Amino acid sequence: MDQERRIIYKRNKTRYERKKELIAYSFIAPNFIGFAVFTLLPVLFSIFLSFVKWKGGDFSTMEWVGLGNYAEIFKTAKVAEKGLGYLFTKVDLGIALKNTLFYTVITVPLTLICAMALALALNKAVKGAVGFRTVFFFPYVASMVAICVCWRFMMMKDGPINQLIMALGGSFNKSWTADSGMAIWSIILVSVWRNMGYYMVIYLAALQGVPTDLYEAATMDGANKWQQFTHVTLPQLRPTTFFASTMMIISCFKIYDVVAIMTEGGPGRSTKMLVTYIYDEAFSNFNYGIASAIAMVLLVIVLVFTLAQFSMEGKYANN
Amino acid sequence: MKKALALVLAMLMLLTAASFAVAEEGQTLTVVAWDAETTPYLAAQKEAFEASHPGVTIEYVDVASQDYAVKTTTMLAGGDSSDIFMVKEITDLLNWQEAGYEEPLNSYIEASGYDLSGFAGIESNYAVDGEQYALPFRSDFWVLFYNKDLFDAAGVAYPTNDMTWEQYADLAKQMTSDGVFGTHYHTWLSAVVNWDVCDGVNTLIDGNYDDLAYFYELYQSLEDAGACMAYDEVKAAGLHYSAAFENGNVAMLPMGYWFVSTMIQAIKDGTCSFNWGIVAVPHKDDVAAGSSFGNLTGAMINAKSENKDLAWEYISWLAGEEGSIATASTGTRPAWVSEAVAEAMASADGFPTDDASKAALIPTYVGIEIPASEHSSEISTVLNEEHTLIMTREYTIEEGIEEMNERVAEILG
Amino acid sequence: MTQLAVKKDAGIARSPLSVVLKALLYIVLIATALFTLIPFVWMLSASLKLDREVFSYPIRWIPETFHWENYSLIWSKVPLLTYFKNTALIAILVTFIQTLTSSFAAYAFAKLQFRGRNTLFICYVATIAVPWQTYMLPQFILMRSMGLYDTLWAIVVLQSFSAFGVFLMRQFYQGIPTELCEAARIDGLSEYGIWARIMLPLSKAAVATLVIFTFVGTWNDYMGPMIYLTRDINKTVQVGLRRFIQENSSDYHLIMAVSVCSLLPVSVVFLALQKYFIQGIATTGLKG
Repeated sequence: MDQERRIIYKRNKTRYERKKELIAYSFIAPNFIGFAVFTLLPVLFSIFLSFVKWKGGDFSTMEWVGLGNYAEIFKTAKVAEKGLGYLFTKVDLGIALKNTLFYTVITVPLTLICAMALALALNKAVKGAVGFRTVFFFPYVASMVAICVCWRFMMMKDGPINQLIMALGGSFNKSWTADSGMAIWSIILVSVWRNMGYYMVIYLAALQGVPTDLYEAATMDGANKWQQFTHVTLPQLRPTTFFASTMMIISCFKIYDVVAIMTEGGPGRSTKMLVTYIYDEAFSNFNYGIASAIAMVLLVIVLVFTLAQFSMEGKYANN
Repeated sequence: MKKALALVLAMLMLLTAASFAVAEEGQTLTVVAWDAETTPYLAAQKEAFEASHPGVTIEYVDVASQDYAVKTTTMLAGGDSSDIFMVKEITDLLNWQEAGYEEPLNSYIEASGYDLSGFAGIESNYAVDGEQYALPFRSDFWVLFYNKDLFDAAGVAYPTNDMTWEQYADLAKQMTSDGVFGTHYHTWLSAVVNWDVCDGVNTLIDGNYDDLAYFYELYQSLEDAGACMAYDEVKAAGLHYSAAFENGNVAMLPMGYWFVSTMIQAIKDGTCSFNWGIVAVPHKDDVAAGSSFGNLTGAMINAKSENKDLAWEYISWLAGEEGSIATASTGTRPAWVSEAVAEAMASADGFPTDDASKAALIPTYVGIEIPASEHSSEISTVLNEEHTLIMTREYTIEEGIEEMNERVAEILG
Repeated sequence: MTQLAVKKDAGIARSPLSVVLKALLYIVLIATALFTLIPFVWMLSASLKLDREVFSYPIRWIPETFHWENYSLIWSKVPLLTYFKNTALIAILVTFIQTLTSSFAAYAFAKLQFRGRNTLFICYVATIAVPWQTYMLPQFILMRSMGLYDTLWAIVVLQSFSAFGVFLMRQFYQGIPTELCEAARIDGLSEYGIWARIMLPLSKAAVATLVIFTFVGTWNDYMGPMIYLTRDINKTVQVGLRRFIQENSSDYHLIMAVSVCSLLPVSVVFLALQKYFIQGIATTGLKG
């Protein structure tokens, strides 16, 4: 909005409208001030950091490198010479990106489908619903360290899970976390196990908001149960699904703790993720600029995902 | 709803009043260290220093060892004024120096006429361009631990201070029987192949890893023979080497000298009750017996400290003879070497009394695990990644080493 | 699909098909519950074993003898009570501030018109996407300069204004029909009144969700307290737990016992609040 138009806008606004806006700001302020100081400011600073070379210490030791950090992580010179395949097979960033994307693409839908199914099942009169709810939510509450130790143990070579696979007629003769192919699946499994109860709770809360008379109306219109589900339940849950998938995509992109405890990114680089990479650069190599640049890559990807979802949500809302 | 709110508020006020107290200031030196509560030598050092310096209190800032890098880096970058920071990795020293967190020590050394000769040159690992930035107070090298009771039961002669790796491998296989493993390898790269630097020529940052094949092959032959627990299982169970050895069914264990104090403590606490000893690690045919590799631990003065003179007094005491005797009394090996210190080490309460163990205290050569350089931490990340691939046999030894060579060459440019 | 089976049950007629479906539903639920519980059963059984029994093959689910002394042992080894008190204090404060301020802000984002609404909201969402590890340093420098380092307040301000709460509440408020607010405005209610009398009561389930998540999140947070809290009297349960694991790295039986203890308070909060999930808007007769 340019200067002239802004003036016109201001002039045209009634006092009532201005007051309304002030009221809106007063609602936002308590949270926003804290958020701006303790989160937004530091984040802005880290955006700046992605353009400098800095090993910590005095700010005066910073050295502006422009896009140098980005060229470094993408290994642009090498990639230009050897092609894109090189980026995703040899370069740390490419491998971490590939792993993180794979993990996210599998984990998000799997978790949300499980969560929604559990919520739907428990929303109605099921005997022992309270007990089931608690059980399903439990993994989220547990300390990751103890839980991951336990899962790693269960996925050992002769552990219960491999025994189960054998009993079912399959065969896998290695610890999951020690196999480049399976390691990432062990992380997906633990993630789904841990998060499905969490998102179940969100869906349960949302299901409380679906007015019962919508179902009554649908029944009167002669809709069967499946049609009720697709025409009433799913659309009513859309804001929640939007929220849940956005949150989940973001948290999947930021996966760190499960990997750190279960596989440490290995074997090799088979479970190296973006945040594990950031962590290494920041705290073993002290390259804060590089670490911030990787974070910005992550931020851009997540923003693209989120904005795409927002615009989709907006379209649905308008329909 | 309102009642609940009132209740919450009341509880909050109560709790708030009870907490958020501000710590009282005192005449103390704050020392940032890891696992301060359970590390015997830290307690011994504190006790000895406070006894010889009345009126000074040492206060440890306890950080879990696993989080040490993250926590200390954040503290330093945030301008923390703790007086002394323990230096865990040699690479940290370089990074901290670059960021200007460390007080240069040359002027203190000159002013106090401090004699560095007790370090026999290893203090140079903590110097950058001729300026000393920290003093070492611990120098751990690797030795071979063994369970005497298992050897006695099998009627096999104990390991000696002069064994080749082939002899060691044969011994491990000989000692292996139902329920007993001849030897044990922890999952670290250093436990399996760092022996390569014992010859005084090779380093792990030189970019050529062809020689590591010998040790990987040795390891795999032992694993195949069932003479050690499979890497896969040790890793997946997160088995700690101390648990493995203290369990009593492992005949030998190559491990760092710090494990001596752990063993002394374990025997004292009654967690295990067998007789044990140490000998020098085995050597290759063309390397002198008694050669090993190791790592340094030191202390630096925070450039932001407000008690720098007292801090210097502390670290010079800590690294010097008196501090070293306190350190040695707990079975930890100080960096300062003198007769009095050697005596304190051998007479540490609970140290094995046999001659071979005492002789093992004096290595003929100690290489540095990973020397400090601009690229050390990046290289070690690469090596560790490829190490897991070789150990899980995802890669053959040749493939893994080729990758190491290739990737490190890229880092070195 | 499960919806189908459950819905049928609400009816009076019980066809053989619905009985089969219902049985299937229970089988699936029980199987999932078992899958969820196995690690906890293992944890509990390990916490009652001797050190060397923990990793024995084949797995022994019920310990030979129950070693209850593991639990008394950990109380003597760790100042668990101090840790619990600190963590409870932080968690309660954070939950309170977070729920209050974010439902407040969310109301504006969902139901009021003002300039910069979308930009501000994108700001919130974008920061969720930045891993904490990257802005930890600048944040630490800031907190230190404000004198908050090594005080419990550091964690309180760190956790209280997260974007997550605003986002969650906004989504729920968007589901509440705008007509309700309009009607209230015509009745002369101020915006604050609408928030207090209409939005809050209607979003009990959402508030309960946020309370649970915030409480659990704060309770289980490790990195924040690890970085910001240094003195022993300030440490939290998770920091204590990690330290315990580090210092007793091979005593898995004790580690599991401590883990079981750290689980209890959060479970209580969840059990206490989950009743709000069955008396939400559906029963208040709200029409869409």
